[in-house]
Amino acid sequence: MRVGVNVTRRWISSWRHSIREKDSSVNAFVSTSQPAPSGPQNLPLRDVAIAVKDMICTSDMPTSSSSAMLKDFISPFDATVVALLRNAGADIVGKVNCDEFGMGSLNTHSVHGPVVNPFQPASSSIPWAEREKRSAGGSSGGSAAAVAAGMCYAALSTDTGGSTRLPASYCGVVGLKPSYGLISRWGVISFADSLDCVGVMAQDVSATKRVFNILNAHDTKDPTSASPAARQLASSEAARAWPALALKNLRIGIPHEYFPSELSAEVLTPVRAAIQALKSRGATIVPVSLPSTPYALSAYYVLSSAEASSNMARYDGVQYGLHVPLPPGSDLTNSASMYARTRSVGFGAEVQKRILLGTYALTADAFDNYFLQAQRIRALVREDFNRVFRVRDVLASSSSSSPNTSTDADPEGVDVLLHPSAIRTAPPLELDPDAMPGDALQSYVQDVLTVPASLAGLPALTVPLRNDLTGKGEGEGGEWPVGVSVVGQWGCDEVVLRVGEFLEEINN
Amino acid sequence: MLFPSCRPPSLLVRQLCRAFHDRRWPGWQVVIGIETHAQIKSRQKLFSDSLTSSLGEAPNIHVSPFDASFPGTLPKLNQDCVDLALRTAIALDSGVQTRSSFDRKHYFYSDLPSGYQITQHYAPIALGGHLYIPNRDSPIRIKQIQLEQDTAKSTFDPRTRTSNIDLNRAGTGLLEIVTEPDLRSPEEAGAYVRALQAMLRAIGASDGNMEAGSLRCDVNVSINSPGKPPGTRCEIKNLNSIKFMQTAIVYEVNRQRALLSKEDGVVPQETRGFNQDTLETFKMRSKEEAPDYRYMPDPNLGFLLVASERINNIVQTMPELPWVTRVRLVQEYELSEQDADILLNLDNGREDGDSALAYFDRLCKEGRKPRVVFNWMVHELLGRLHATRLTFADNPFSTSQLGELIDLVHSGAITGTSGKLLLREMLADPSSPQTPTERARSLSLLITSRGELDIGDLCGAAIAALPSEAAAFRNGHKNVLNKILGWVMKESRGRADSKQARERLISLLEESGE
Repeated sequence: MRVGVNVTRRWISSWRHSIREKDSSVNAFVSTSQPAPSGPQNLPLRDVAIAVKDMICTSDMPTSSSSAMLKDFISPFDATVVALLRNAGADIVGKVNCDEFGMGSLNTHSVHGPVVNPFQPASSSIPWAEREKRSAGGSSGGSAAAVAAGMCYAALSTDTGGSTRLPASYCGVVGLKPSYGLISRWGVISFADSLDCVGVMAQDVSATKRVFNILNAHDTKDPTSASPAARQLASSEAARAWPALALKNLRIGIPHEYFPSELSAEVLTPVRAAIQALKSRGATIVPVSLPSTPYALSAYYVLSSAEASSNMARYDGVQYGLHVPLPPGSDLTNSASMYARTRSVGFGAEVQKRILLGTYALTADAFDNYFLQAQRIRALVREDFNRVFRVRDVLASSSSSSPNTSTDADPEGVDVLLHPSAIRTAPPLELDPDAMPGDALQSYVQDVLTVPASLAGLPALTVPLRNDLTGKGEGEGGEWPVGVSVVGQWGCDEVVLRVGEFLEEINN
Repeated sequence: MLFPSCRPPSLLVRQLCRAFHDRRWPGWQVVIGIETHAQIKSRQKLFSDSLTSSLGEAPNIHVSPFDASFPGTLPKLNQDCVDLALRTAIALDSGVQTRSSFDRKHYFYSDLPSGYQITQHYAPIALGGHLYIPNRDSPIRIKQIQLEQDTAKSTFDPRTRTSNIDLNRAGTGLLEIVTEPDLRSPEEAGAYVRALQAMLRAIGASDGNMEAGSLRCDVNVSINSPGKPPGTRCEIKNLNSIKFMQTAIVYEVNRQRALLSKEDGVVPQETRGFNQDTLETFKMRSKEEAPDYRYMPDPNLGFLLVASERINNIVQTMPELPWVTRVRLVQEYELSEQDADILLNLDNGREDGDSALAYFDRLCKEGRKPRVVFNWMVHELLGRLHATRLTFADNPFSTSQLGELIDLVHSGAITGTSGKLLLREMLADPSSPQTPTERARSLSLLITSRGELDIGDLCGAAIAALPSEAAAFRNGHKNVLNKILGWVMKESRGRADSKQARERLISLLEESGE
């Protein structure tokens, strides 16, 4: 290595230094890149270290999706988001751990092993390597942990049902799941295409926004990429509804369905305090109801598993990835046994479970009762949101044939919804994934607060609340990070980020 | 009666014969429906920008990461394929759906790298429609037209016991065109496929070449007794020539008859294949073994919306349809229906898109008589090409070359026989820079008025001098020819080649007698 590199790339070195120092006890990174010379001075993200979830394709590092199936797979191309970051001068420092193909909420279903939450209470005197082991959340646990441990400036994640917001909340960082279709999915390995979004994580809202602004561009390679016209329309509608971007004009909806009995006190208390603080600074707090919420989780698991079963079909050991030959003497005339062998070895238990669930939901006999019903619930969830927002849904009205649809904002509506990001703080991490707390269903319940925004394709931002705000003395784990989620109308990502900044202000 | 060969000995049998006229299977009605897969003749594939390929190209050269289903790739609908599907729908009078969508059909096979085929199961691009076929008054009804992806090609090498996969074809656009069960005989089935081929070629939607695999047919066959509900159908997959399709239908009808003639005999619903060596169909799978394709709306492609302006635009730029061309050839050009069909069915696989019909049209547009052009183009030129196992696609002449030859004969500059000779010479050396006129001159075929001995002139003079002998010859008294030939030999003072003179005389006499 040339000496000059370390001198001219001081900040890169600090992030890369942290990776070397800390990652062995965090397990966030699954591969790291060689430092490259800096680009031109004027690039917006010059020398900024960014970690990329291992489900996003890079041509210079493997993209394994944390699966044995793709353990040594190197994509022939960079994802659009990676190319945009490189063009902006960013240093793609490495690829980060996640649940296999994004399926999981604790980042324990990974061929690279679980990610350890790097959070350590400021008051702790325990050595770093011996700190309490808790989950970083999933599926983008590596992204959240890499940001939390200072191993990068920002990280790319993905979010299908909460995979950005949950780990960001557990690790105490900012996590944005933008409106569906704003960020290109070309080169992002599909889990469930109709729900998948690329997310951004960083230590604060302004860093999140800085990276989001680079990625927020139409891409002709992604058929679900929102058109420039739809983007323009949504932001002008948002600007009309809340022109001043000031707290005193802001109407915040509190959906009571998002405060279920399972919500722990360590989460509820700081969230309440944050709502109180926003109100005292001039925001209008409006209790609202989203009645379809209780059905959202089941609908999400039917739809996401159905799409996953379809998307996982390509991993058959023929074109690329893992191929496990049949034992000698096997019947080679039955090609099904060849696929079964490779797929049984290559996919982990959680992925296999979802493939089976999704395959069943798509069978001719079950399709109407599961897939179609879930699609109906999805439409109801979306209608719920449209009823409460002040700004209209530009995607719905532009495709509807009704010419009388009012384009005026609903004065009774809210600008954003605010609710806890997760029902609890990061759960303890047992090293044996099968001995994780609760049964499988309980790990699915982790997503109950995040899936509605995914089903509706809405922007959702989680911001960490200062846990010493009121949380101190609430018992064990009281100091672990708690996130609050801000959800806005489709295309109103600017609004959501602005509200995130207000939340940061009350933290200080 | 349509089938006079059916000779009814009694009224009852006569009625039966009228309803179930086919002597091959008396007392049975045959019901056939056809699903055709036509490769769309687009430059690029249906959902990726890799080029489509033709038969005989090196394997795996037209493959993008999407075609190989690499992780992270996404489909992008090729609007050229949509336009060709819309043209097809309009040609078949099928109802274009302003909103259609794409679905994934799942199954594991090595020629399907993604594990699913993108098709239009729930909402196809066009519904309904019909196609008229010769010798039948009622049209064949079309059920639907859908866009879908072709698979890759996998071949098994028994010597090395390995399967080879060629992804060139993977993701090429297909039009699936499905009929209602309206066809009643193997001949009608053949006529339907031919009519469909001609239409697809005329509008440029597909090469429709069954031998090259750009058109493939699945055929549903059932039989039932008169007045009874339709029988259980069997589907015969992947028939790749009209002849094989008809043979398979005949075999299938007889097989089903044999099953039903047994006591309590039933036809089990099956998917069957066709063995090209034994000319028999064979069972592939029963209804119970039919795979569940787990159709799922494709989450990436959304709705395909077709605006009415787009449909109008396609209607306005629609090429002439074969049945319209046929009427034009018969009514405007006064060709016989048979000649019109010959012209329409000429191989038009030329890469430059120059069809036989366009060639013919150009020759006629320059003021030539269509029937004369037809004779030269089909009987003479194509006849010569066929004699050396070539097709019209191998025609080496431009229209101006053939046109000049026709004009030489028509203006009387050379005789018809000389014209045929000239054509032979031109075909023997098609790359020669000489024009037809120059070549006729170098072959001394031109009828000149110079002092030099000119067989053509001399023969013409002989016919003019002996009008009654000429008339007698034309009336069938062939022996009179010797007298006319004698006149020529005498006038040439023996310089003329008698064999050549005899030929020239015959051709002039026959020509002027037409």
